[in-house]
Amino acid sequence: MAKLFMKGNEAVGEAAVRGGIRFFAGYPITPQSELPEYLSWRLPEVCGTFIQAESEVAAINMVYGAAATGARAMTGSSSPGISLKSEGISYLSAAELPAVIINVQRGGPGLGSIQPAQQDYLQATKAPGHGGFRMMVFAPNSIQEAVDLVYEAPEYADRDRSPVLVLMDGCLGTMMDEVELPPFKELPETICKPWTVGYDGTTRSGHLITPIYPEAGLEGKNKLAVARTKRWEENDVQVEEFMLDDAEWVIVAYGIASRVAKQAILNLRNKGVKVGMIRPITLFPFPKKSIAELDYSQVKGLIDIEMSIPALMREDIELQVLGRAPVYEYGRSGGVLLDDDSTEAAIWKIIEEASSNG
Amino acid sequence: MRFTLLVGGSGGQGGMSMGMTLAESAVKGGKHASFMPLYGPEQRGGAAKCTVIISDEPIISPLPLKTDGLIAMNEASYKKYIKELRPGGLLVRNSSRSTSAIKRDDIRVLEIPADDIAVELGSSKIAGIVLIGAMLGFSNMMDPKMLMDSLEEKFESKGDAIVDLNRRALYKGVELGTKAAAG
Amino acid sequence: MAEKIYTKPPCLLPLSSGFCPGCLHSLATKLIAESIDELGVAEKVINVLPVGCSTMNSLYWKLDMVTSAHGRAPAVATGVKRCRPDALVFAYQGDGDLASIGLSEVLMAANRGEHITIFFANNSTYGMTGGQMAPTTLIGQKSTTCVFGRDPDTTGFPIRMCELVKELEAPVYVARFALNSPANIRKAKKGIKKAMQNQIDGLGFSFVELLINCPTNWGMSPVQSIAYMEENTMKYFPCKVFVDKTEEEEK
Repeated sequence: MAKLFMKGNEAVGEAAVRGGIRFFAGYPITPQSELPEYLSWRLPEVCGTFIQAESEVAAINMVYGAAATGARAMTGSSSPGISLKSEGISYLSAAELPAVIINVQRGGPGLGSIQPAQQDYLQATKAPGHGGFRMMVFAPNSIQEAVDLVYEAPEYADRDRSPVLVLMDGCLGTMMDEVELPPFKELPETICKPWTVGYDGTTRSGHLITPIYPEAGLEGKNKLAVARTKRWEENDVQVEEFMLDDAEWVIVAYGIASRVAKQAILNLRNKGVKVGMIRPITLFPFPKKSIAELDYSQVKGLIDIEMSIPALMREDIELQVLGRAPVYEYGRSGGVLLDDDSTEAAIWKIIEEASSNG
Repeated sequence: MRFTLLVGGSGGQGGMSMGMTLAESAVKGGKHASFMPLYGPEQRGGAAKCTVIISDEPIISPLPLKTDGLIAMNEASYKKYIKELRPGGLLVRNSSRSTSAIKRDDIRVLEIPADDIAVELGSSKIAGIVLIGAMLGFSNMMDPKMLMDSLEEKFESKGDAIVDLNRRALYKGVELGTKAAAG
Repeated sequence: MAEKIYTKPPCLLPLSSGFCPGCLHSLATKLIAESIDELGVAEKVINVLPVGCSTMNSLYWKLDMVTSAHGRAPAVATGVKRCRPDALVFAYQGDGDLASIGLSEVLMAANRGEHITIFFANNSTYGMTGGQMAPTTLIGQKSTTCVFGRDPDTTGFPIRMCELVKELEAPVYVARFALNSPANIRKAKKGIKKAMQNQIDGLGFSFVELLINCPTNWGMSPVQSIAYMEENTMKYFPCKVFVDKTEEEEK
């Protein structure tokens, strides 16, 4: 298939359409605005619905309503907007509604900066809303991978009847890169499913989509959610392991940071430094095994590299390392981007200091 | 070969769309390319930049620290981005809009009165094309014909005169760049 | 054999309601249910539930239902209706839900002219949470967060929602009724039915406000509460049809 040259946000919009998304509600926010802009004309072309909502809050609740009918629904935003949507995301999870959510991260906390960043790891993986629920979180590191993951995201959402988050960043959203688009998925003739609201042509006694349960019912739901999380951890982890065989130093990085880190690793390898990388593609479920099962007689240390200060993945890494090797971090933040050379230098400095101390 | 180019100009000068067209034309021509914009909060004015990477190999990181080439379309972007040019890097500067003394002696410089040349050729709007042509000639980063093919496609609907104007601007720049590279 | 001349509307389950004795939520619910059954459209209806006393309605309706977050019912209804334009989508919201935390959602859904029907039950209080001041609490009316009575100097004035909604271009039907007397109940029923009929006819956004009581939180007997409504609530919130574009549409 011919390679196209597309902006990340637009490529993700097209991937969503091809993956079967037929409803999008969103609100303008930099650096993801090209996503609603693209879908505003693209969805009507495939008989889908685009709504520019009055707020982030309204947008996620429109998605909630659309998902209740069985329509494949999506919303997108950037960090501060995702905070506003967190109520709705919790409700989607509680009401067991499938939906795809895109976060094109920018600098934080607060209004932060409009430049790219990776400051939302904890929000995405630990507490995307109140109530202690989890959802699958995918973290692409290229426009192509973003396209592939967004294309598949509705399948995971439908399978689990759960919201799914694709965690991007402003670089991936606004940059342009080569991309191959997947074919259009064939969609069923009706959006109705056994659990959805809306008359399906047979006698209906009243379906209820609800985020509120009597006490005992809620506990049962929460237990099922725990079992589901366990299934995710067993079956759905996606991870890239790069040059780990002889690695004495292991970088852990996701998304755009992993691209920068990989270039730094290649540069360092040329200088004889034995460094490799673990790149989580699913941030939740986190690739625990990849880190836990490293050869700690060989590994001298791990370095968490993120476009975030502090490095937010570090605690998850440390929980797998369990003190068997030191964990370091390097990051940039607040609109300052990671770059190859500074990252290489930072890794070199960490290794040198560790060696002189050891 | 891999070449990183930073295009800096005020919003509205067309640097962004130029960088985008360059990267797109490289991909169409069978190379690998990425385009990374960095906008300020303002829609117009100020100093906006984009980074274009063109490479024979797949691009691993789209975020280099230093750039191999810099096109400075105005004084503000020259001042802001000159420090991002690596030692030995190539500067193509629009001397119609940027005239301050160049203090670095570790770079190669080509100064072009692109606005004046553009007006002579028929439109002030094509100054950016002159500059990018000059960088192509100066750096030999990519065959200018690849870009011309994309420009032809882009302006086809606007008529032969516009396509021809772009061609003359591009190759005028290439000529100046090639001459500077040789000298 | 005796002829059965009155029965519970079939789209309500044969259960007794959990609303407090004398609360007009039950009556409002019944009027909507009767209208739906008289129109014969129950299977096509999707009921969007709010947060408040009427969340409890999920136990009583025999309809497809979606329970929404507090104040978000019009946004949820928007999502539902856009994906199922063939469905008849209504939301029933209280005053805290609609006129306070959900003010933006209802006004913007009205402004977009969503083809949905909003029933707004106004009882001047937050019933479910224990009688706090609502945006519609009357001046001087006591609540658990204005124990000396609502003071306009610090809390502003009761919001007249119909008067806000009627200023928008898109809504096709905006009306306020009180459920205080048999005559007014009959008027309200007509309005409710019309608001659903408008959706069947594909006309646009309909908004029906129903003035009701809250004997429990007002600290009154049901009879006293009706008298209070008549002497106070209905004087501040005039009952009338503010907008009716259905006639011109028919011409």
